[in-house]
Amino acid sequence: MIQITDEILNKYLDGELSRTEADQVKSALHNSDELRRKLNALKLVHSNLSSIIEDKVSNDFTEKLMKQIVRKATAPKQQKYFIASVVAFITLLCLVIFGFSISAMISATSSAAGNSQSVLDSVSSLSEGLVKMLHQLFSGTGLSIIGSIFSLIVLISGYFFFEMQKRSKASIGNGQHL
Amino acid sequence: MRNLSDQEIIDSVRKGNDSDYSIIVNRYKNKAFSMLKRMLKNDFDAEEVLQDCFLKAYRSLTNFKGESKFSTWFYRIVYNTALTKLSSQKRKTETEMSSVEDHFDLVSDYNSDEIEKEDINKLIQETISKLPEKHSAVITMFYLNEMTIDEISEVMGLSISNVKVMLHRSRNALRDLILKTKLAEELK
Repeated sequence: MIQITDEILNKYLDGELSRTEADQVKSALHNSDELRRKLNALKLVHSNLSSIIEDKVSNDFTEKLMKQIVRKATAPKQQKYFIASVVAFITLLCLVIFGFSISAMISATSSAAGNSQSVLDSVSSLSEGLVKMLHQLFSGTGLSIIGSIFSLIVLISGYFFFEMQKRSKASIGNGQHL
Repeated sequence: MRNLSDQEIIDSVRKGNDSDYSIIVNRYKNKAFSMLKRMLKNDFDAEEVLQDCFLKAYRSLTNFKGESKFSTWFYRIVYNTALTKLSSQKRKTETEMSSVEDHFDLVSDYNSDEIEKEDINKLIQETISKLPEKHSAVITMFYLNEMTIDEISEVMGLSISNVKVMLHRSRNALRDLILKTKLAEELK
């Protein structure tokens, strides 16, 4: 004879007992008011739980969530475009500086050399001019100016990049308060 | 128009039709919200966590292999996110919830002498939220989401017998509440 515990009553309710065990429970139920009361209360709980009502989220939940998803999907693209534009700007600036240096160097060497006799002489004076120009650019005030320009570019880019990150995080955060 | 299966919707979203994800959202939002509300005991937190869960699921759709049902996979995200939220709220979830051996007693807000039979449903509905978090999750998944014990054990990462123990304990606790009322005499 099995002992009729709460566990056995639950298994009986769920139909998990063997036929023999179920018969033993039936017999015990027949003889005990207390057991019958427990089982009936369990049945009442079971039937009421089977009809629990689902709670509803706010009406615009789906709409707001989908907006979040779209925003999140477009944020990385915006960041990519931003980085690409900063890189393009820096490259362009470098090219302008380089082009300006070359043109300044050529004009300096042509005026200094006058009518050079050989190609070798013009190449050597060109390289000398280049070294001179670079030396001028990266020493003293030249270096300070270039350093300042680059620092400014880095600072501005950093600021905008940080702002963009902050905005995208904020938009995700806002979406959590649906 | 026939109802699309979860897998068909997921395939469509994976192909780039993001808007189809709203079908999944509408299909699961209320059931998942019901579970979260009972676990977190708070509407606001439940909705916030639910949104987080849908975003996580969307981002991880590529990882969904289809080895289990989408619902099981999604409810696992919901359940784990709720546990993370609870632990972040420092509600001592480890000690309160980790063991299925935990004993708990429920207290009703109702005066047990005044409860009528028609109040029982309301009493039970309201008392589910007073169960320990894992127990209320089991009850919601089993009764409201109509999941099998196997699926619940997969979601919770617990053995089938442990899930059954939690289900039985929850029912017993609710039953004891009813037995304390004047209705107990009618149940013989």
